[in-house]
Amino acid sequence: MSAALAAAAPPAGRRGHPLVRRIGGRVLALLAVALAWEGLVLLFGIRPFYLPRLSSVLGAILATPGAYAAGFLRTLAETLIGFVAGGAFGVAIAVAFLRLRALRELVFPLFVVSQTIPVIAFGALVVLWFGNTLLAKAVIAFYLTFFPVTVNALIGLESVDPRQIALMRSFGAAPRQILLQLQLPSALPQIFVALRLAASLSLVGAIVGEWFGDTTGLGVLLLQAMYNENVVAIWAALLVSALLGTGFYAAVAALERRLVFWGAEQ
Amino acid sequence: MLRPKDDAPLPGPAPAAEPLIALTGVDKTFGPVKALSGFTATVGRGEFVTVVGPSGCGKSTLFNIVAGLEEPDAGGALRFEGRSCHAAELLGRVSFMPQRDLLLPWRNVVDNAILALEIEGRPRREARAEALRMLPEFGLAGFEAQYPHQLSGGMRQRVALMRTFMFERDLMLLDEPFGALDALTRTMMQRWLLDVWQRHRRTILFITHDVDEAIFLGDRVLVMTARPGAVKLEQRIDLPRPRRPDLVTAPEFIRLKRTLLEAIEEESMKSFQTSQETAR
Repeated sequence: MSAALAAAAPPAGRRGHPLVRRIGGRVLALLAVALAWEGLVLLFGIRPFYLPRLSSVLGAILATPGAYAAGFLRTLAETLIGFVAGGAFGVAIAVAFLRLRALRELVFPLFVVSQTIPVIAFGALVVLWFGNTLLAKAVIAFYLTFFPVTVNALIGLESVDPRQIALMRSFGAAPRQILLQLQLPSALPQIFVALRLAASLSLVGAIVGEWFGDTTGLGVLLLQAMYNENVVAIWAALLVSALLGTGFYAAVAALERRLVFWGAEQ
Repeated sequence: MLRPKDDAPLPGPAPAAEPLIALTGVDKTFGPVKALSGFTATVGRGEFVTVVGPSGCGKSTLFNIVAGLEEPDAGGALRFEGRSCHAAELLGRVSFMPQRDLLLPWRNVVDNAILALEIEGRPRREARAEALRMLPEFGLAGFEAQYPHQLSGGMRQRVALMRTFMFERDLMLLDEPFGALDALTRTMMQRWLLDVWQRHRRTILFITHDVDEAIFLGDRVLVMTARPGAVKLEQRIDLPRPRRPDLVTAPEFIRLKRTLLEAIEEESMKSFQTSQETAR
């Protein structure tokens, strides 16, 4: 079996070499897209109003790198705080639901209702409560993040093999030990499915939050460019947002590969 | 695998001594299903008792009770180390090995083997050192850092057995530990288990489907009736130890096998008929 052969190879070799090759492949693909963008715009004479050349977009970014860097960092901070808080809260609530059936029956429907409220409507409220602060954006990111994590973590926690729990009990394990040594690690693959989703959602939350008013952030840059009908600036903000979103997703996926190295074997 | 024994073969169980565990008239019902009815058996210290029976005869229920995972119905008596007790009190006092290896995929061989010790609160470093010393005996030397998905079925089973052995309790419960293995690996594992058992001197209660295995391993074989499970036949196996692989062709072995097969056959027919009746 090829899986067994691959498994027999030392782990360092398994991770190191193909990773370099994979990154190399991605860089090449990106370069190809960049060249196609530049070339097609020139070739077909597309008006900058619809699609500016990549070089002019990059030029706009490099003209005021400070604004984009500040926006990137600000939005990253909002996204990260919302994501981490949402993830931790989601897992904690899932554990509470697992333990307390009554709590679950009481609170879970409220969660579902909360998720049916459009994020825009909720955002207005959050800005009223927290003002135009970083915290307000993080709260919106949190709001979009915690629910999928709760649901998936609960699915993961409940799908633990009951025979495995019986084995732990026969060793005299306390419920806390069963949770930490068995249930949470077993749920990790499911939790990461939600975390990858949450990585994108938390960025959406942060950017939408910025639209309610702020002075820095990628959402602010987008909004300003839109009001000024500055197409190049819109594309610039979009490009930086894409960089943030992709980078964040890749970081979560890399963490998953590291922590859930055994795959969905059992 | 077969090394010369420095110990004399284990003396047979001393019937006079207090048995390690004794079940008297134990019943267990799940809703409308009666899994055990008046189950009575004892296991002496250092004894190797095997349990065979038709499928669905309540063997696993019996094991869950002895492992402390299920409470028997009121009425029966359960005694452990000479004291009457509830099944729940046996949690953490019996080392239990279920049918499947149930290894944790995120733990390597050593860390899977020390799981029970960690739960007991033993320092991890100390437990790991002990596991490393035991690896060669379980045929796992050099595999300490491998993860379960990198191991063959036989090796996984040995890791699970090592986990059970490291959880040093007087009574070991093995539920068809070799059921999933191919015939050749299985006979190797049986000989190896006897070897390890004679050196560690534990008491073993061993469930199996396989009559050969039951005779080859046990000091005593309990044949269970069709559901509701009870002891149909208790057969002493006075074959000398250490037992050699060619024992299975010896006339005494065949004679014992015939007796046991007859008893099992009768019960299998019964459970087959009842299941046909209920299907009708």
